[in-house]
Amino acid sequence: MKNALEKFLKIDRRLIFLALTVLLFAPIVKPLGLPNKNLGKDVVNIYNYIENMPERSFVMLSLDYDPATRPELHPQAVAVVKHALRRNLRVGIFTLNAGATGMIEDIAARIPKDIAPDKVYGRDYVIMPFQPHPVAVMTQMGINIYEIYDKDRNGNPTRDMEVMKGIKSVKDMGLGICITGTAMLDYYVAYLADKNKFPMAGGVTAVSQPGYGPYLQTGQLKGLIGGMKGAADYESLINDVEKGTSGIDALSLAHVLVIVLILTSNIIMLVLKYL
Amino acid sequence: MILIKKHIPLFICFLVGVLTLGSYYVPNVHSENYLELMNKWENIVAGFAFLLGLMSLFTSHFHKISRKAPGWGYSLFVYVGFLLVVVPAVVSGGKPMIGPDMTSLGWIYRFVFTSLSGTMFAVLAFYIVSTAYRAFRIKSPQAFVLFAAAFIVILGRVPLGQMMWDGLLSWTGYQVTDVIEWLMSVPVVAGRRGIMIGIAIGGIVTALKIIFGIERQYMGKD
Repeated sequence: MKNALEKFLKIDRRLIFLALTVLLFAPIVKPLGLPNKNLGKDVVNIYNYIENMPERSFVMLSLDYDPATRPELHPQAVAVVKHALRRNLRVGIFTLNAGATGMIEDIAARIPKDIAPDKVYGRDYVIMPFQPHPVAVMTQMGINIYEIYDKDRNGNPTRDMEVMKGIKSVKDMGLGICITGTAMLDYYVAYLADKNKFPMAGGVTAVSQPGYGPYLQTGQLKGLIGGMKGAADYESLINDVEKGTSGIDALSLAHVLVIVLILTSNIIMLVLKYL
Repeated sequence: MILIKKHIPLFICFLVGVLTLGSYYVPNVHSENYLELMNKWENIVAGFAFLLGLMSLFTSHFHKISRKAPGWGYSLFVYVGFLLVVVPAVVSGGKPMIGPDMTSLGWIYRFVFTSLSGTMFAVLAFYIVSTAYRAFRIKSPQAFVLFAAAFIVILGRVPLGQMMWDGLLSWTGYQVTDVIEWLMSVPVVAGRRGIMIGIAIGGIVTALKIIFGIERQYMGKD
């Protein structure tokens, strides 16, 4: 008995990898359809904030994530763009992360197809080019945005675009949302939101979500979307099932596997100690 | 010589540091003009920093290859990867090369970079799960507190965990979301706030040391 338990404690890790693979693949092949009942309070806050914005308000969406964090953050970005455009808000997509340009390409290609086919580029939304120095860009956005973003990503002048009408700096915008897998959201709070009294919200990976608690408590962030669960929550709120919702089953099983493994190994350890 | 190598750089650093710090708190047309100028310069310098980083990367891998250091073969892929991305992009001039609307850079981004980055990040999940089984041992009261917090947060973050809590622990009278909310808004925020204040004080002290010339590492050894 003791030998068998010791052997089980030193199980080949490839078997654990296999178990995880099966648990991740199974719900993708055959979704379990688990109900997502408890929506995150901070996600609901962003949703409500956007719901209560006057039509044609400007939402600055800074997409600062690369393919590594795509599964968690891309569904968040798609859901927010969908919500904002459906609410007839103006959307400006920015990036301060060189690796994010392809992610933005994907959203740009999807807007006329399935996100918001009735919206027109230049009138309802605009996509700005990548800029390399985050702090300088953020400081400048609080003074005069056209000194840095005088042209969009295609080289068209932005000043004359209808979507930018009445916008000189972030002080003229209604809300900023930074979706990132880095510390970019902290920079936005420090260099843009606090200084210019600009309402800011964020979307981050699940692992970095607890770190933003202080900003949420002080109101420096109006809301926060955390990880794939946050994306699934937002999709539930806008009644649009996408990658966030479909990934939540796999995430559920993986989380439970982690708990089961920790409990199993510790129970075996206790049994071995007192056997 | 000491004037050029030491005193002038220290004076420039002091002047720019004080003006930039002051501009943050003084909402004035002159301070805004100054900040606009500095922002443009910072962006230009950041662009050149990319170039400098690239040169540094190439030099370090060149030395690795020329010395035949362990794993030097991998260094070749730095050059191969760079050329595969840059050459088609330059040749095509940013115009679509693959199909009606796919540039070479777009193709590499979508089918190579995305897959590789995603794979690298996904591998983490396998190691986390394996480590959870092999290394997470509850051998002390502190480890038990960590486990209890992790148990609630991991379970409560996903629908299946919430269903399990409702089925097994509903007798406690607490919803899992309430317990997570308390954990996140009291102990986690308290710890995080302490770390943030510590980092901020450290940052302020370092900045002041640089502005007043006490910290001079950036000037090199001479």
